[in-house]
Amino acid sequence: MQTLTKKSILGILITGVAILLFISISGCFTSKEVAAKSGAQLWVENCQRCHNTPSPDAFSGEQWKTIGMHMQTRAQLTDVERDKIVAFLSSK
Amino acid sequence: MKSIKTAIAIAAAGVLMFNTTRTQAQQTSAADSALLDRVSALEQQVANTKPGEDHLMVAGLTTIGYVTGKSTNTIGGVSTTTRTSTFGNSDTYEFSPMFLWRHSDKFLMEFEPSFNNDGLGVNWADVSYFAAPGLILRAGYMVVPFGIYNKRLAAGWIDKLATDPIGIPGSTDYGFEAMGGFPLGSTKWSYDVGVFNGQQLLPDGELQTAGITDNNINKTFSGRLGFLPFSNSSLEVGVSALTGKVGDEGSVYANTRTNMYAFDLSTVQKLNPFTVNIKAQYNIVNTDRENYLNPSDSTQTYSYNNHSTSGFGIISLRPSYVDDKFWKNVEASFRWADYITPANSAWGSNTTQVTEGVAYWISWRTVVKLTHEAQNGNSTVNQMIAPTTGNTKTDYWFLQFSIQL
Repeated sequence: MQTLTKKSILGILITGVAILLFISISGCFTSKEVAAKSGAQLWVENCQRCHNTPSPDAFSGEQWKTIGMHMQTRAQLTDVERDKIVAFLSSK
Repeated sequence: MKSIKTAIAIAAAGVLMFNTTRTQAQQTSAADSALLDRVSALEQQVANTKPGEDHLMVAGLTTIGYVTGKSTNTIGGVSTTTRTSTFGNSDTYEFSPMFLWRHSDKFLMEFEPSFNNDGLGVNWADVSYFAAPGLILRAGYMVVPFGIYNKRLAAGWIDKLATDPIGIPGSTDYGFEAMGGFPLGSTKWSYDVGVFNGQQLLPDGELQTAGITDNNINKTFSGRLGFLPFSNSSLEVGVSALTGKVGDEGSVYANTRTNMYAFDLSTVQKLNPFTVNIKAQYNIVNTDRENYLNPSDSTQTYSYNNHSTSGFGIISLRPSYVDDKFWKNVEASFRWADYITPANSAWGSNTTQVTEGVAYWISWRTVVKLTHEAQNGNSTVNQMIAPTTGNTKTDYWFLQFSIQL
């Protein structure tokens, strides 16, 4: 039973490391089309997946940073998407 | 003599003017000094402001409304009708301010208390740690990752209809999760996996989903994997799974396990002049076959295939690309939902729900909705152990206003 537990823990750790490695490497495989997307474009494409596109006037730049983090936990945005969208909303 | 007096007067005037100018200069100098001190103090104040210490904000939502309609229950050819006309029920009233505290670029805390006709509760209270690109760790009390409705679509200012679809499984629970999104070429993947206290099996085989009471030492694993095949994120498909032992510790149900699966789809397309929005989710809930307590005689047990399914699909049309300011904010929606609970149990039924409505968007986060919902449910209970609930038809109209705070 103890061996099984150790094996399970080892399996979880290996899986976790593999996932992290995959995520890290996959960041290098972003297509040029996706990498070139502007914050405005990502704002339209991603926000409307669940709700209307928010008005940049609704919140301040600091608040958009907070909301960007909140929305990343809801919609699993990539870090690049979050940063570009927040930069776009803060600049308007 | 006259010239002497004139000279003295001029000299006196000169002295007076000199003193006045000197006084004004001193006053100006004092004012400049005070201004410089103030600027210096403000500079110091700005310099002392550290990022991440004062980033508290309030968002959340409130929903108010009215519902009217009737419910007709028919058993053995005898019908009973109950009429409703009320401002407050769980579908029409909610006040939920959400407190977001960005402690730094790495930590975010969320707390959303909620008041509705069930009283005052908490929707979620959690801490997220943005560990690395594509990896967010979260702990606390949160929505369990399963399907897309509970976590993304349920909020009143997002939902295009006034009600939730029937039979959506899942819960809010204490636990820990890891999530993130990452690009792969022109596609995108997302994951959201966690471990939670888990649901609780009731003596008749139903699941208590409140998640407040941890009834055993086992933990439940739940997660969703999402895939967005197109570079414009216009389509997302997801698969979810949940597994865990749900019986009370030390009881005969201690090893009883529930496995749940869900498949979801979300797409937003431009079909000029409309924006077409489609969402769907299908759910399967399997709990081990056990000898459950007979609700009419606790000394007896009975057994059944504890298998439930539910699903919904909603399509919305909004003429977003017309010039008319009124019509471009109107959105029509139609939703079909079905919920089948175990036949021959004490709670078996087969219910179909059809909901349609029109929403008018006052702003991107403020909406007025008129919704009609008809539901038809047939009891499939084992009449040897529980009385049938017959056929129940409901027909309700909802008028609802919802706003994101």
